[in-house]
Amino acid sequence: MRDRHLKYLLVLPAVVVVFATAIWPLIQSLILSFRTWKLSKSHVPGPFIGWENYSWALLEEPDFWNATVVTTVYTVLTVGCTTLIALGIALLLAPGGRLRLTVRTLLILPFAMSPALVGVSFRFMFNPEFGLFDAFFGLLIPPLAEVSWLADPTLAFAVCVMADIWGWIPFITLVLIGGIAALPKETVEAAYVDGASGFEAFRDVMLPQLAPVLAIVIILKSIFSIKTFDQIYMLTNGGPGTATQTLAHYAYFNGFKYYDMGFAASVAWIMVLPMIVLTYFYTRYVFRRG
Amino acid sequence: MAGVRLKDVTKRWGAVIGVHNQSLEVRDREFLVLLGPSGCGKTTTMRMIAGLEEPSEGEIWIGDRMVNDDLPKDRDVAMVFQNYGLYPHMTVRENIAYPLKVRRVPKSEWEERIDRAAARVQLGDLLERKPRELSGGQRQRVAFARATVREPKVFLMDEPLSNLDAKLRVSTRAELKHLQHELATTTIYVTHDQIEAMTLADRVAVMSDGIIQQLATPEEIYDNPANLFVAGFIGSPSMNLIAGETNNGSFLAADIELPEVGGGSRKGVVLGIRPEDLTVVEAGSGHFDAPVYATELTGEAILVTVVVGSQHVCARGPRHMRKDIGELVGIHADFSHAHLFDSATEERIARSS
Ligand SMILES: Nc1ncnc2c1ncn2[C@@H]1O[C@H](COP(=O)(O)OP(=O)(O)OP(=O)(O)O)[C@@H](O)[C@H]1O
Ligand SMILES: [Mg+2]
Repeated sequence: MRDRHLKYLLVLPAVVVVFATAIWPLIQSLILSFRTWKLSKSHVPGPFIGWENYSWALLEEPDFWNATVVTTVYTVLTVGCTTLIALGIALLLAPGGRLRLTVRTLLILPFAMSPALVGVSFRFMFNPEFGLFDAFFGLLIPPLAEVSWLADPTLAFAVCVMADIWGWIPFITLVLIGGIAALPKETVEAAYVDGASGFEAFRDVMLPQLAPVLAIVIILKSIFSIKTFDQIYMLTNGGPGTATQTLAHYAYFNGFKYYDMGFAASVAWIMVLPMIVLTYFYTRYVFRRG
Repeated sequence: MAGVRLKDVTKRWGAVIGVHNQSLEVRDREFLVLLGPSGCGKTTTMRMIAGLEEPSEGEIWIGDRMVNDDLPKDRDVAMVFQNYGLYPHMTVRENIAYPLKVRRVPKSEWEERIDRAAARVQLGDLLERKPRELSGGQRQRVAFARATVREPKVFLMDEPLSNLDAKLRVSTRAELKHLQHELATTTIYVTHDQIEAMTLADRVAVMSDGIIQQLATPEEIYDNPANLFVAGFIGSPSMNLIAGETNNGSFLAADIELPEVGGGSRKGVVLGIRPEDLTVVEAGSGHFDAPVYATELTGEAILVTVVVGSQHVCARGPRHMRKDIGELVGIHADFSHAHLFDSATEERIARSS
C-alpha cells in the first residue's frame, strides 16, 4: 500500500514542473484569448470579450487569411519536398544502397543548427552584394543574376522554403534510413527474383512496408512546418510586405509589435487546431506500432 | 530448361571467404542438392546464381548464357528463401500473383495458374490471408507456390522444409520430388539434412568451408566418400574413423590388429567403417574385443559404443542383446565397405595398393 502512494509522490516534482512551465502558460494564454489586452495601454489584462478576438481574426482580418494561406502553402511544399528528397537520399545511403558514406553522422549537421541560425545564414547567402547562393544562381541561370532574392515576394518565399528543406532533410533522411534498414531484406530480394525491376520492387514492396514510417515523418514534419517561426523571423521577418508571414509570425507580430496580446493569443489557439488533429494521428501511429 | 554452370566462382567479403574457387555443373532437369554444415556457403552459392550476390571471381552460366552481368529478373530463376521472403502487406493470393504481375503474364491466365500452384501445396483456403496470419509451415508453402506459379529455367530452394514438423517434412519431401519430376525443371536445393539430400537428389554436392568436397550420386557419396569430411558427415550414426597405420595390408590401431584391410604399409592412416558393418558378437569370437562404453536402443537394433585405445567405435548388435557398460564384447567387421584415408591430406586412399 505504501508503495502505491510513494510512486505518486516520486513523480510529483516532475508533474509540478510540467504543470508550471507547460500547462499553466497554456491555460493562461487560452484565458487571455478571450480578453482584450493592449499592452500599449495597460500592463494588466482587460475585460473578457467572449469570442471577439477569434471573430476578428476570422472575419475582419485579411492579413490573418494571408498568413493562413502562406502557412498552408509553406507546409505543403516543405513537407512534400523534404520527404521526397530525404527518401531519395535515404535509398542511396541505406544499407544495400548505392552510396556508402562512412561518416553518415555528418549528415545530421544542418539539423544541429538552430532554425534562427539557418535563417541568418540563408539571409547572408542570398544577399545581393556578397551572397554565395545569389552569385551561384546568377551564374547558373543568368536572368537571375540581377534579381534581389529577398525583395521579390515569390522568390523570398522560395528562399524560406529552401532554407526549411535544407535544415530538415538530414533528420528525415536519418529516420527513413532507419526505416529502410529495418525492412526485411529478403522481401525486396524476392521481388527481384520474381522479376521486378528496381522501380517495381521499390513501388510494390519497399514503399508499402515503409508507409508507417513515412506517415510518421509526414505528420511530424507537418507539425513543425505549421509552427515555423524563428527561421522566418531571421530570414525575411515576414516580408517583403506579408509575403512570407506565417501564422506563428503573424501572432508574434500582433503580440509584440502591435501589443495586442489577447488577439495574438487567439491566433495562437487557432493554430493549435490542426496541430491537435495531426498529433492525434501521430500518437495513434506511434503507439499502434509500439 | 537449362543447366547451371559455375566456373571457378569465389565470393569474398574482405577477408571472409564465403565460397572458394567453386566449379559446379548442374545438368538440365537435374535435382542437385547442396549439402553441408551451417556456414559452409550454401546460401551464398544460391544467391550468386540468383543474382543477389555478385561473385568476386569466376563465371556463372545458366543454359548457354553467361549471366554474371544480368539482373536477377533477367535470369529467369525462381527462389524459395530460407526465411520465406513473403511480401507481408500482400495476401497469399497477391504474393503468388506477384511474379505473374511483374512478368506481364496476361491477367486472364492468373486465376488458373494461382489455383494450380496453391493446390499443389494445399493452400486453397488460405489465399485471402496475410502472411503474418500463417504458421511457419504454411508460409513456406506460400513461398513454394510463389516459386512454382511460373515456369522458370531453374528453381533455387534454400532449406524450404526446415520449418515443417517431422511428419509434414516427410510428406512434403515426397511431394516435392514428384513435383520436380512433373515440372522437369533444373532444381538446386540447399539443406543441411542429409536424409533430405539422400532422398531427393539426383546428385549431391557436399560442401564444407566454401569448397565442394564431393559431387556425386547419393549412393556414390554414401558408399565411396571422397575424403574424411564427407565420410564423417554423411550417414547417421556417422562412420567410425579410427586413426592408426597399415602394415602389409593389416590395419593397426591401439591394441587391435585387423588383417586383410589393404593399403600396403604406411603411417598416418584412418580407417573408415560404418557402424552397420561392425557387428557385436560374444567376446573372443570377433576380429577384436573391446569394453562397452555405452549402448543405445534405436528400435530395430542396438548401437553399442566400445572403446578402442582412446577412441570410441560404434557397432550394431541384434535388438534383443543387452550388454552392461564395461563388459567385454567382440566385434566382427565386414571390410567390404571399409575405406582408408590419409590422415594428412584427408583424401581416400586405395585399399588395393
Ligand atoms: N554479407 C556477408 N558478409 C560477410 N560474410 C558473409 C556474408 N554473408 C555470408 N557470409 C559468410 O559466408 C559464409 C557462408 O555463409 P552462407 O550464408 O552461405 O552459409 P550457409 O551454408 O547457407 O549456412 P546455413 O546452413 O546456416 O544457412 C559464412 O561464414 C558467413 O558468415
Ligand atoms: Mg543458408
